[in-house]
Parts: sequence; structure tokens; C-alpha cells
Amino acid sequence: MRLGGVLVYLRTMALFVLAWYVGSLLVPSKLLLPSPLAVAAALRDTGLNGELFGNALISLVRLLASLLAAAAIAVPLGLLMGRSRLWNDLLELPVEMLRPIAGIAWIPLALYLFGIGHRLPLFIMFYTAFFPLLVGTAAGAAAVDKRLIAAARTMGLSGPSIMRRVIVPAALPAILVSARLAVAASWTAVVAAELVGAPNGLGYAIEYYRSMLSTPTVMAFIVTIGVLGFLTDKGLRQLSKVLTPWAQTGAAR
Amino acid sequence: MSAPKIRLDCVSKSFGGSVVAVEKLSLDIRDGEFLAIVGPSGCGKTTVLNMLAGLEPLTSGTMTLNGKPIEGPGAERGVMFQDYALFPWRTVRGNVEFGLVYGPAGQGLSPAERTERVERTIEMVGLKGSHEKYPHQLSGGMRQRVALARLMASEPEILLMDEPLAALDAQTRVILQDELLRIWGQDRPATERRTVVFITHAIDEAVFLADRVAVLSSHPGRLKQIIDIDLPRPRGDATRRSGDFARLCQSIWELIREEAYRATMN
Repeated sequence: MRLGGVLVYLRTMALFVLAWYVGSLLVPSKLLLPSPLAVAAALRDTGLNGELFGNALISLVRLLASLLAAAAIAVPLGLLMGRSRLWNDLLELPVEMLRPIAGIAWIPLALYLFGIGHRLPLFIMFYTAFFPLLVGTAAGAAAVDKRLIAAARTMGLSGPSIMRRVIVPAALPAILVSARLAVAASWTAVVAAELVGAPNGLGYAIEYYRSMLSTPTVMAFIVTIGVLGFLTDKGLRQLSKVLTPWAQTGAAR
Repeated sequence: MSAPKIRLDCVSKSFGGSVVAVEKLSLDIRDGEFLAIVGPSGCGKTTVLNMLAGLEPLTSGTMTLNGKPIEGPGAERGVMFQDYALFPWRTVRGNVEFGLVYGPAGQGLSPAERTERVERTIEMVGLKGSHEKYPHQLSGGMRQRVALARLMASEPEILLMDEPLAALDAQTRVILQDELLRIWGQDRPATERRTVVFITHAIDEAVFLADRVAVLSSHPGRLKQIIDIDLPRPRGDATRRSGDFARLCQSIWELIREEAYRATMN
């Protein structure tokens, strides 16, 4: 990142922290709104004793694992749905019925099925990431320029080759955009899933310190989720630049 | 006279049952000839090309290549599309080698032979040094050259070209017309040339390039007349300035003038 960009971020954050600080002076109870200084202290403490990184790492690994699992199924299925009338007819109705249901709505059932542990948050995040990936991939595959397919056909490529050499690369920008949506949605689901169904992770830590009435520490973990959410999105955008340099805004055609 | 390379016999094409794009078109295309098809917009030129490419089925009639019916696309018929249809995620080299690497055209070639042919083709169209550029980094004229290189690299028997020069400015167009004839092989004996079917709406372009010009009428597309272009080869700027050239352009213009005027009214 360029230095100018960093300065813009810092300026925005400084204003935000200042407003927060003033707000915390006006709110009488430290329990309701702790000052940024208290949160910074909590970040330092949990950072030093390893709690912050340990829980963040667990949540991050769960998120990436569930994202990869969701992509492994949703992308091929989305390609089929986008290119084949038959597959689309077959899957459209169940997909459109399951998609509006929030992942966290499955928590009660998932608790019976999986109990408390890794599997419940993994399942909830998998569910949350699955539909943006599926729908985004299907839309991307359906929108592939017909002339590119025609060009490949006139060069004698078979159906599977065209899928691999034309449809997949042409739909890749759309797939990467849907991955960004999936990750953002997964971060919102991670807390809820771990709040209830996991013995560790950022969501678990938030719930634990809530019960201890330590709002600065709760806020410290909330801030961590925000930072991780930002960084994972940044990482995916960087990945899009590397994988699809030809499809960057402005230069694309 | 030998049997035609491609024979269209009473070919008709209608869309959605009502719109007739091409009606009872019969035409023989000879081996090694450069055939241009001209006509006003709406004469079904592009439809004819898509049927030759095997991308669109006929509604009725027959279309044969070397005596066998055309039933789908094939690597022996290379197509150059109006807006180039380059793969935006592949570099110049990636586009040019596409058919050789993933299609049947490269079968029997060693990787070294393939690379050599790709290099030679890129050089031939004047794109040396732009191997690693993506299509969006190229001008219209350069993209057109990439499309031409991609077409030539697979060495198809028949080149089907759909208004490949239509999107270019006048100067670039003249230059690329000259280069097209050079690459096609107008300096070589006629028996060594590839068969070309070239769609255009520009009469001067058709006359400059072709051995024969098929003039279509519009709504529905019918064959109006076939004109032999007996201008000597190799052709160049002197051809463009000659009286014969102007006379041929004029006679074709007179064939389609009335319809062209009518088309501007819609």
C-alpha cells in the first residue's frame, strides 16, 4: 500500500477514535461504553498473554476452511447452473428457498447435530459462504460472452475443454467478487456461531468477557473482528489483482 | 474446373419461424479463392458466415465442404469475428496459441514446433515485442492483428472473416488490407493459397481484396449477382488508383444502391 493511502486510513481512524473518546466521557457508565484507552489496554493485555492471537487464529482458520469447502462445492455447481438449463431447473428452487435463511437460524438444529466444538461454527460459516459463491458463480458463468465460446468452438474445442479454458477464466472475476461477499458474510456469522457453539474463537471470547462484565475486553475482540474482516477483504482484492489483472476496473474491456 | 471447395445449395435460414434472414442461397466457393460477400445491412451476410462456421444450423438446403455436409464447427474452418472475440484473460501469445494448445490444430506438433509457429505468426502480423500484452492494452488495429494471428496460427484450410476491418479507422484499414493480402499469399501461385470467405459492407474493400464478389440483396438475403474481379495480383496502391478498380466499385454500387438507400430510411 502507498504511504498516502496509509495516511488517509490513519486520519479516518483518528477522527473515529476521537469521537469515540468524547462519547465515552459523556456516557456515565464504563460498562456501557468503555473509553478507547481502556480498550487499547485490553488489546495490549490479551495480546501479550496470547489470548487475542490464539482466538483470532482459530476463528480465521475456521473461516478459511469453511470458505474453501464451500467454494469446492459451490463453484462447480454454480458453473453447471450457469451453463446448463437442466442443472439450473433442478437446483434453482431449493437454492432460492435456502438462500434467504440466515446461517445462524440453523444454530439450534446444528447444536443437536454437532454439539459444541469445531463442527458447529464450521457448518454455519460453510452455509453462510455457500450461497453467495453459488449464485455469484452461476451468474458469472451465465454471463460469459457468447462470442468467446463461439471462437473456442470454431477452434475445435470440446465441451469440457470450453468449460475449463473459456467459461472458468471468463467467470473468474465474478467468482472472486462473490468470494469477497462470502467472506464478509462469514465474519458476521462467525461470532454468532462461536457465541453459542464453540469452546474458543473470537465469538466465544466476546461471550466469555461479557459474562465477566469486562466490556473493554469485549470491545477489544470486536475491534479485532473488524480488523480481520478488513484484512481478509484486502487479501482477496489483492488476489483478484494477481489472478485477473485483465479485469481490473478502468482498464477492463 | 475442379469440384467446389464449399457448395451452398438452396440454403435458407429463418429465425423464430417468421424472420427470413437468408433465402434460397446457392453458391460455389472454389478452392484457394478469395470470395467477398457484400450487401446492405440486413442481407444476412453474418448469418451466412455463421452457417459456414457451423455455429448456426440451416433451416433448409444443404451446405457441403469437400462434398461432406457441414454439421458443426471444425478446426479446418477458422473464423475471425467482427469484434475479434479475443480472450481478455490471455496475452497476445496466449490468444495466438490457443487453438494450437487446446484444439486439434496443434496435434502432431512438438512443443518446440508449436512455439516456433506462434512466434512466426506473431511476427508475421507485426506484433513482435507485444507477446505479453493483454488485449485491453492494445489499440483496435493491434487487436485486429492478434485476431488475424490467432486465425492463421491454426493454419485452417478455410478462413471465414466477418467484417474484420469494420471497426478500424480509414488509414489502419488500408494498411491491414495490404497486409491481409500478403499474409493470405497473393504473391504465391493460386494453388498454394487458402480459401477465404470475407464478409464486408465496404464495396471498395471487397473489390480490392477478392477474386469474386458475391452481392446479396436484403430482406430476405438473396444472391443478386456474382462479379469476377479480374484485377491483376499482387494488388496495392496502384490497384486502388486504377480506372478498372473504380469501374468495378461503381458497378457493384449500382447493384445495391437502391436497397442501401432504403436501409438508411429505416
